[in-house]
Amino acid sequence: MKSRNRDSYDSDLTLWEIGPYHGSLPAPMRMSLSLDGEIIASCKVETGFLHRGLEKTCELHPWQAVISYADHLDPEVAVFGELAVCLAVEEIGDIEIPPRAKSIRIILCELSRISAHLTFIVRMAKAVGSETIIHYVLRDREKILDLFELLTGARFSLNFLRFGGVNADVTDGFIERVLEVCEMIRIRMREYNDLFTFNQGFLNRTSCLAVISPELIRTCGITGPNSRAAGNPFDIRKNAAYLGYDELDFEVPVGRGEGGSIGDVHDRFLLRLREITQSMEILKQIAEAVPIGNYINPNIEKGYVVPAGEAYSRIESSRGLLGCHVVSDGKSNPSRIQFRPPTLANLMAVSYLVPGIRIEDLPVVLSSLDLGIAEADR
Amino acid sequence: MSNSIFGTVVVYFRSVFKGAWSIVGSCMTAFPYIFRWGETRKEVTEGYPDPVSSKTADDLLPRSRGLLFNDIDRCTGCRECEKICPTQCITIEEEPGADASKTWVSVFDIDFSKCTFCGLCVENCLPGSLVHTRQYEGAAYNLTDLVASFGRGQITPEHRAKWAALRQMSESDEVVL
Amino acid sequence: MTSGILWVISWCDSIGFPSDLPQWFYALVALICIFCFVVVPSGALLTYMDRKLSADLQARVGPNRAGPSGIFQPLADLLKLLQKGSKKEWHWGENLWLGVHTMALYSTLAVMPLGSLALLVDTEVSAFLPYWSALVLALGTMLLGLSQGSVPGWFGGIRVAAQTLAGSFPALVALLCASVRAGSFKWSVLAASQGFSPWTWTVASNPFETIAFGVFVISGLVLLAIPPLDGGLSTSDIHGGVSSHLYGRRLSLYLFGRFYGFFLWSVITVVLFLGAWRLPLGLSESLAESESYKLLAIIELVLLLFKTLSLMLLITWVARVNSRSRVDQITDFTWKVLSPFSLVALVGASICAGWRAFS
Repeated sequence: MKSRNRDSYDSDLTLWEIGPYHGSLPAPMRMSLSLDGEIIASCKVETGFLHRGLEKTCELHPWQAVISYADHLDPEVAVFGELAVCLAVEEIGDIEIPPRAKSIRIILCELSRISAHLTFIVRMAKAVGSETIIHYVLRDREKILDLFELLTGARFSLNFLRFGGVNADVTDGFIERVLEVCEMIRIRMREYNDLFTFNQGFLNRTSCLAVISPELIRTCGITGPNSRAAGNPFDIRKNAAYLGYDELDFEVPVGRGEGGSIGDVHDRFLLRLREITQSMEILKQIAEAVPIGNYINPNIEKGYVVPAGEAYSRIESSRGLLGCHVVSDGKSNPSRIQFRPPTLANLMAVSYLVPGIRIEDLPVVLSSLDLGIAEADR
Repeated sequence: MSNSIFGTVVVYFRSVFKGAWSIVGSCMTAFPYIFRWGETRKEVTEGYPDPVSSKTADDLLPRSRGLLFNDIDRCTGCRECEKICPTQCITIEEEPGADASKTWVSVFDIDFSKCTFCGLCVENCLPGSLVHTRQYEGAAYNLTDLVASFGRGQITPEHRAKWAALRQMSESDEVVL
Repeated sequence: MTSGILWVISWCDSIGFPSDLPQWFYALVALICIFCFVVVPSGALLTYMDRKLSADLQARVGPNRAGPSGIFQPLADLLKLLQKGSKKEWHWGENLWLGVHTMALYSTLAVMPLGSLALLVDTEVSAFLPYWSALVLALGTMLLGLSQGSVPGWFGGIRVAAQTLAGSFPALVALLCASVRAGSFKWSVLAASQGFSPWTWTVASNPFETIAFGVFVISGLVLLAIPPLDGGLSTSDIHGGVSSHLYGRRLSLYLFGRFYGFFLWSVITVVLFLGAWRLPLGLSESLAESESYKLLAIIELVLLLFKTLSLMLLITWVARVNSRSRVDQITDFTWKVLSPFSLVALVGASICAGWRAFS
């Protein structure tokens, strides 16, 4: 501590420790910034304030309860954690998923993706201090949460996926309501664009800020929207399709550099808007033809014990590549469950991106990376 | 052109105009909301304890997972729910009951301060006595108030004496018969 | 005795005060009346309308508990804030800004133009006094941030100071533009140069005055750090910055100081550019002839306040919908856009005024 102070005297830098709880941080984390005036010279990120011992807890519970824990890997987008575990377990047990269950899972995933990206818009709006759009976006996300409640009975921790399918069949009118919500969000996107995308004040705040370069993507292993905004068209849904995503017709949008340079905050924002559009495209295709049949593999009973073996599943969550390594030794509890959350890579990128920006831009940069600290700390 | 003075001036004025125009555009986007024009621009918030507009239990969607309720008369004390519960919020104590076939569930506590409403217990309940109610307003001032007790209470010596008398009566009846 | 406190004297007489009281007494009564019956109710009204307007814009209900459709919500908020006493020890730095705020608040009440009959101080430099008060208010805000003794407070204070320095130059030049047309810095002359209908207002007299009006409003927002250009106070990295440690009575005083700056600036804008308190169809002359001064004063005040609050609500609308700018962007904008435009407006307005004088 003393030597650090001496450094700061010698170099005319100010040290400022933010966190773990601070308005400019999207989640509990600590940043030690050294400031040169208002410009950040360097920063260190410290995480772990939301550590819950999730992976260890999974080992202590029966297989059935693991799914309800995977919910809490990232409470905002619960279904991705569940899906990662289920896919890995289904690979170990060689369980066939009925096509209807696959469709329901894709509907849930894409709805979660839209909901997560809407939450991202809210965080961005909060960071740049635009109040009105927060309420518009939250109002529209509410419709998606209502859909979740209609299908699964819960709004956030769904606990809906099961090994070999899903917990229950879709209720009457659910598909129609999904389409209705898609249509509503398509209309609302114009409002978001007017209030945000075409707003000069927002452009000034975000363009050419915190540019992610292809080198940085390789250095940190950034995946998901953040890397696609920097021009890297890597999407597990296309590159290693799961759940039958390869039969669907959708594009993977990449950043085009409308704000000035490819991979800046504005690109990351626009890319999320485009991903919402693509997710709605997927939802429409799925809704047109939900296959008839079982919603869960009938051979799988409730207390299903996974046979010995291990598997690694990769899915595209709303933040990037979510991996899940499941090891089973044939007992009633899992032997090891390990997650590879995409946020960890984004967190590593923070200390590369933040130096050189003003502290007023720190909240904007942090929220543009869409850090889900819950999944990083687990 | 962009290097000449004229070009610089044009760029300057264009940026000023674009800035002003985009601010006006944003304001006009929100303008219809002031008068609530159209179905899509209705206000969405509502006062919470408002008997007229607020959600009641009947407005909940059919699968909504509300507070848990255990029908103790049907509960067999099999502890399936306790075993599966991810947060260990269910506490069960059972004792041998009046006759050997039935257990006496003396304690069945659900700690709603821990419960995540995942619904696994309801799914795994063998006799089907544990259900989600449509009740969702469970706020309390004390943590202890969040514990819902469904148990029959500890067996007292009076109970034992009564059961013993009953058993004797039925046994003696058998003898008589 | 200036004409400005004639209305006070006549009202005091009608209540039953002895008629031979000294002039300072009437001036004091006038100040208290203006504060209690004009400034504070305007603050409450604007707070309420601001919250209702933002609620409407954001598809919310807004205040609906205190009174019919929440009309007494500002009062309830004030009472709640006043209940909260300070638990901290007395600190001279904080009380310094408190003094500065109070000074800025009450020193300009006398200068505030609220009608042709309610001009307490109507001198040749009247138009500059509120400008000075805005600077003092900004100084108070900066000192408040610096006295806080924390990084957010320091950054907030420095940012407010930077904004104020940047905004004061175009504000001053735009003020000159309006005065060049009227030929004086006196409130009465400035108002008399305009009429009731919008095309007789200064803002519509020539394009340069229109530019000057825009510059004056925006630079006022910069100078006083009022939303939407309150980057020095509201950005989330310092979450409130200057005022983040305030609560209770101090917070209410601080908030009221911020409102007062906004209100003062809007009143001046209306008087300089938007036709002041001028009534239509020679109404003011006929009322003055029939010696119904009270009615005249009230009608003028209502018109002025209506214009002022409309302007404030318009600015609030822009603030709610648009995103916040960074402080360096605000100061850049002020130096690179507002200042050149204000200088062009001044040259143009001077030429127009000269052309009118010679033709």
